[in-house]
Amino acid sequence: MIWVSWRQHRGQAIACLGLLAALAVYAVVLGTSMRTAFGDDVPAACLAHSQGLACLGGIDTFRGEFGSEVNIAFWSVTLIVPGLIGVLIGGSLIARELEYGTWRLAWSQSVPRSRWLTTKLALVTGGLIVLGAAMTALITWYRAPMDRITGHLQHNAFDYEGLVLTAYILCAFGFAVLAGLLIRRSIPAMVAAFIPWLAIRLVVEFVFRDHFMTPLTMKIPAACLKGFCGDGVGYTPQITGRVGDLIVSMNPGNLVTYQPADRFWPFQFIEAGIFVGLTAAALGATIWLLHRRATWVA
Amino acid sequence: MTQHDADASGPALRADRLGRRYGKVWGLRDCTLEVPAGAVAALVGPNGAGKTTLLEMIIGLLEPTEGQVSVFGQTSRADTAETLARVGYVAQDHPLYRDFTVADMFHLGRAMNPGWDQELAEARVDTLGIPLKRRVKKLSGGQQAQVSLTMALAKRAPLLVLDEPVSSLDPVARLEFMRDVMASAADAALTFLISSHVVSELERFCDWLIVLSHGHVQLAGPADDLLDAHRLLTVPRATPDAELPGTAVHRTDSDRHSTVLVRADAVALAVQGHAGWQADRVSFEQLVMGYLQRPSTAATTRNPAPAAKRPGPSTKAVTR
Repeated sequence: MIWVSWRQHRGQAIACLGLLAALAVYAVVLGTSMRTAFGDDVPAACLAHSQGLACLGGIDTFRGEFGSEVNIAFWSVTLIVPGLIGVLIGGSLIARELEYGTWRLAWSQSVPRSRWLTTKLALVTGGLIVLGAAMTALITWYRAPMDRITGHLQHNAFDYEGLVLTAYILCAFGFAVLAGLLIRRSIPAMVAAFIPWLAIRLVVEFVFRDHFMTPLTMKIPAACLKGFCGDGVGYTPQITGRVGDLIVSMNPGNLVTYQPADRFWPFQFIEAGIFVGLTAAALGATIWLLHRRATWVA
Repeated sequence: MTQHDADASGPALRADRLGRRYGKVWGLRDCTLEVPAGAVAALVGPNGAGKTTLLEMIIGLLEPTEGQVSVFGQTSRADTAETLARVGYVAQDHPLYRDFTVADMFHLGRAMNPGWDQELAEARVDTLGIPLKRRVKKLSGGQQAQVSLTMALAKRAPLLVLDEPVSSLDPVARLEFMRDVMASAADAALTFLISSHVVSELERFCDWLIVLSHGHVQLAGPADDLLDAHRLLTVPRATPDAELPGTAVHRTDSDRHSTVLVRADAVALAVQGHAGWQADRVSFEQLVMGYLQRPSTAATTRNPAPAAKRPGPSTKAVTR
């Protein structure tokens, strides 16, 4: 079964390696120039001692040069790519067998279809985890200088570092495998899986993420009330005085609520947990439904 | 050609009141039949008769709603390795992975079947002149059917189930395919169950006949015995069914004569006593068509079995 899975998915594996290679070239080129510029524009010592206050000009220059990844086009592409990878690979896993009638061949060999499916899912999921981890490593490496200024909790950094990128891919994959079994057509299954994946992805990011843990509250420092401090993520200097804190809200009464930068990993575990949980539910339902299709007595 | 006398160890296939319901509709019901070991059995019936449902329950792709089916004495359970390994299966349109090479398909067979016979598989396609390195999509329809059959044979299962194996092939490929099936059956003492909705495809090749329609078995038994037991009787049109010898299965009235398929041993005597009566041996196709044209309410569970008398304007079905 391992050979069968490999033979059926090796085209996808090669395509994923190609994607990874393209990302690696992009990351190395951009990451190297970012590192050079960062050393010139923003002396690390200045950032560490003054939280950026002493080198505002350098930070502005650096952001002006490399801050384009916060623009909407970049954001849109990076938002949907994990979902596209997941649905493209998951959508055809069962649906293709049903579309071409090859399920009668695959499931009439001496391997029960439940084992056929679990073996395939285990191997493909493993491959996607490796892909997700490699993409995360590349993105984290090249973004490192930028993250020293902005922290990891802000949207564009949090979504591609740590665990969540892999979890997004798995979730889209799980949805698409299930949709493929239910809809029996690859392309409609991909579309049907992508839409709820994107909806959940956006709702989690923009509605729930800020409240994964109760935000901390602090009084806005007197110096900031004069209007020099950034009121959002990634702006220097921060109201809270520490790079990387995520401002949740500015309240009347000179109070600010925020998520401290050191909650990056707890938040990563929570968000990845949500998407891995959805993946497990979708794949579990698929395994159960496929077995029931054969043994269910109407 | 007939080998079904060598079944001391019991039938290759036995279905007992087998039924499968899809929602409220029965795809197959009350199906009881046996196929002896070594037989080449034809399962004929129109599209939608329940052939594929029956085959899927035999090979373990589908669980029966009621009754059970056993292969060489062992009850088939859907989606279990034991059941799946007992039967070689060539599905309708002989599906294969189009971008696999023939060698890849055999690799898959080897990976997924403990009893796989690689030597047999390679020798067979070599004899047929199908290159191992050629991709499936580059093969002709006949070659694809042959690769499918080869995979089913290399599984080394004692029973082979072929679902409409030749319906998509041209006449020459059909003949070659069926000859190969016959040769395999003779060489390895295998039992074949072959379904088709085109009766003529299987004539001359099958020694056991099962006629299925409307989800019920209409007729089952050794083909030669069934042919011997039926006659096509031509009588004057006015002759009532009651005067006919034996059991009228199906009657066709033309202007002056009626042609009646009858099941009886005493036909010859009856014909001698009536001027203008003529009894002819039936062909495989005439026999099957006679049973298939009976109205659905005359469907029988076992053969022969009682059914309602249903007179029609030009078609009458009568059983005793």
